[in-house]
Amino acid sequence: MSKVRITEYLDIDLPTETWRCNRCGHDLGTAHGNYKEGCVVAEQPLEKVHPPLVAEGNYSFTPDSTYCRLVEFYCPGCATMLENEYLPPGHPITHEIELDIAALKRRHGAAA
Amino acid sequence: MTGIAYARDHEVVQRLRPEPMTEAEAAAQAHIDPVEFDIFKHKMHMIALEGKETTMKLGASTAMRWGDVAFGVFTRQGDLSVCATGIYHHAVLGQLPLKYAVKHWVDEPSVGVRDGDSFFYNDPFYGGVHNADMGLAVPVFYKGELMCFIAAAVHTGEAGGTEPGGTCNTAKTKYDEGLLVPPIKIGENYQLREDILNMLAAMTRDPRTMILDIKARLAAARIAQRRVLEVIEEKGPEFFIGGLRRILTQTGEAAKRRVAELNDGIYRQPRFLDTVGTESGLTKINLTMIKQGDRIIMDFENTSPLVEGRPINSFFQGILGLSCVYYCGWLFHDLPANNGLLEAIDWRFPDDAMVNAKGDASTSLAPLVQTCFTQGIFLTGARMTYSYDSSRAVAAWFSGFAIPTFGGINQFGEGIADITPEINATGCGARPDMDGVEAAGAFFATMSDCSDVEATESDRPFLYTFRNLFNNSYGHGKQRGGCGVGFGLMVHDTNRFMLGSMGGGSRFPTTLGLFGGYAVPPVFVQTVHDSNLKTLMADGETPLPHDLSGVFAPNNPEIGSKQAMDVSMVVQPFNDGDTYYVGVGGGGGYGDPLEREPASVLGDLRNGRVSHWAAANIYKIAYDTETMRFDAEGTDALRKAARAERLARAKPYGDFVKDWSKLSPPEDALRYYGSWPNPRDGMQPIVQLRAA
Repeated sequence: MSKVRITEYLDIDLPTETWRCNRCGHDLGTAHGNYKEGCVVAEQPLEKVHPPLVAEGNYSFTPDSTYCRLVEFYCPGCATMLENEYLPPGHPITHEIELDIAALKRRHGAAA
Repeated sequence: MTGIAYARDHEVVQRLRPEPMTEAEAAAQAHIDPVEFDIFKHKMHMIALEGKETTMKLGASTAMRWGDVAFGVFTRQGDLSVCATGIYHHAVLGQLPLKYAVKHWVDEPSVGVRDGDSFFYNDPFYGGVHNADMGLAVPVFYKGELMCFIAAAVHTGEAGGTEPGGTCNTAKTKYDEGLLVPPIKIGENYQLREDILNMLAAMTRDPRTMILDIKARLAAARIAQRRVLEVIEEKGPEFFIGGLRRILTQTGEAAKRRVAELNDGIYRQPRFLDTVGTESGLTKINLTMIKQGDRIIMDFENTSPLVEGRPINSFFQGILGLSCVYYCGWLFHDLPANNGLLEAIDWRFPDDAMVNAKGDASTSLAPLVQTCFTQGIFLTGARMTYSYDSSRAVAAWFSGFAIPTFGGINQFGEGIADITPEINATGCGARPDMDGVEAAGAFFATMSDCSDVEATESDRPFLYTFRNLFNNSYGHGKQRGGCGVGFGLMVHDTNRFMLGSMGGGSRFPTTLGLFGGYAVPPVFVQTVHDSNLKTLMADGETPLPHDLSGVFAPNNPEIGSKQAMDVSMVVQPFNDGDTYYVGVGGGGGYGDPLEREPASVLGDLRNGRVSHWAAANIYKIAYDTETMRFDAEGTDALRKAARAERLARAKPYGDFVKDWSKLSPPEDALRYYGSWPNPRDGMQPIVQLRAA
């Protein structure tokens, strides 16, 4: 077992110190970096996920696109949505998991 | 005088962790038998639970009756050792007023702390959340020696501010918030002081509820006092004092062991709020959790600055309190809820941030700031714990409040002010192994209930036109969030009534999904003044909306002056027959919706928990909409096509960021944000570190 499960969709391959898609094993780049850099990324129009239901007016069930956008991160191998982020337009993408890989390898008895 | 400065005490609020062990506590440890200690712990917890239940049964306010109650036993230094609550923030905040009383009043000859005394407090600087949270504490003496304190902290839904119902969207400074009482003696010799009660009653809109709630807290505390004295009589004072301390010590040690089992690393989650109270505007709470060894450090660098002149700020201690909603409920769910847990937690708050309010700043909407932060800790926590125990990695529950606040004259001609209880009916976040529970409760009030509508209608001038699950209230995902609840209120039998709303997320969702799950949709308030609904109901001929979807359907027969309002809505007059509609949200989604079992979608379709639109467009299910016959091959084709469409549309990360980074919100949305995109760029990097 060279892989360690980190989240629903992310593994880390300990020998190569790389992020891997849990579903298809696609290499998502160095485990010392942000796995999102190994993803393909798209903005999803908000109304495609949150339809308005209200025909007119200032408020509906769709977020205000001047305040909020939806960014989706897909595995290039199997197109699984590994994560998404609701962000103000242009806000930097979050580097959400930065693991101490040396400590992870020690925990699992892997060679440094 | 014993150091009182007629100002807030910034030293005592730093003492969130347990005080150093006293010589008496240390000496007792060698004589505590482990089996006797387990019996003692159980007995003390039962006493606290009885106190919580008694408080609820005797109380008058909405929140007290339906479980927004924390009841605990504190060491004689003020640390909370035993606590019965689902309001887990009180498990680490409840001790601050007691530590204040120990510091300032025990040796103060004009006040003192004596057998038969009782103390009241509601200044959120000590309680940490908001001034609608009010507490009462009594000292317990045995043979003349102070043994412990017993206290109840409860949300009484009216605090005398610029708006009724305990939160003030219009507050500009703390002086607009109403009652802000540091710990004060309100009773002695086992009698409440009527002059003090009279003053508290005079300063709030609902004096009957105010006084009944105070007496409920006191009655429960006195029952618990009798039980505690029985325990002391049986076990002896040395065992009792040492036992309370051992509970704290063991809790801290267990918390550190749990943290040590998690992966070391840095976990980040920026959170965004879309309201500052009376107007829309973006602010950012920037959470970084650093997990190293047996400690977690929560860092808030690059959080938006203090919002001057608006109520959207929090004291740092309130943020720490809400962190314990996550810690007590999820990470340390099997450990006692007390401030010993903070032995495993460190924190860093920038001095001038909206999460570290100072001076005269208003914190009336601090609960919204705090729950917004808590969303972040759910997400960072899930990423931190999945590898250790995936069942701990859950999407967040609804965090936008959407609480109707009200005040005025009820149908019996009495003055009232409070909130309605639907915040205790939000949906759970989805979990790795199951959908979120529908209308489960509030994540910060896990032992609370939303009442039945008849109980609310009995003394509030409302008629519920409906209250039921709303299928557009949760986040979609491989596992979906639990449904929230939509409801309609018609004001009746009064023309002297004000209604508003406390909450956030009308423009930017407050409640996010996890691992590819989607967020909870926005929430907002729909009002109809001069509505014809009462006439339609009297006629009984026309089908009326019976859920929130029906309110927004094109064939809704209700007419009148309709307005969609931000869920952060300043109170406004409502007359007999006017209506008000809102929904408390459901939970965030978990995982990619394309991985959802088709059978689960079909089940949701059959019981109305998902719309046909979502089945087709989010979940990509092929089925006959009339017969509900499932088309497996068609579904497989739709999902393959959806995946292909994703890859065709998406760009490599670098290319995406190149275009994305050119965008920004309009300047008008950023006027309270600080520097874009990092709020503290250009500001002096002053960081307040907790003393080691």
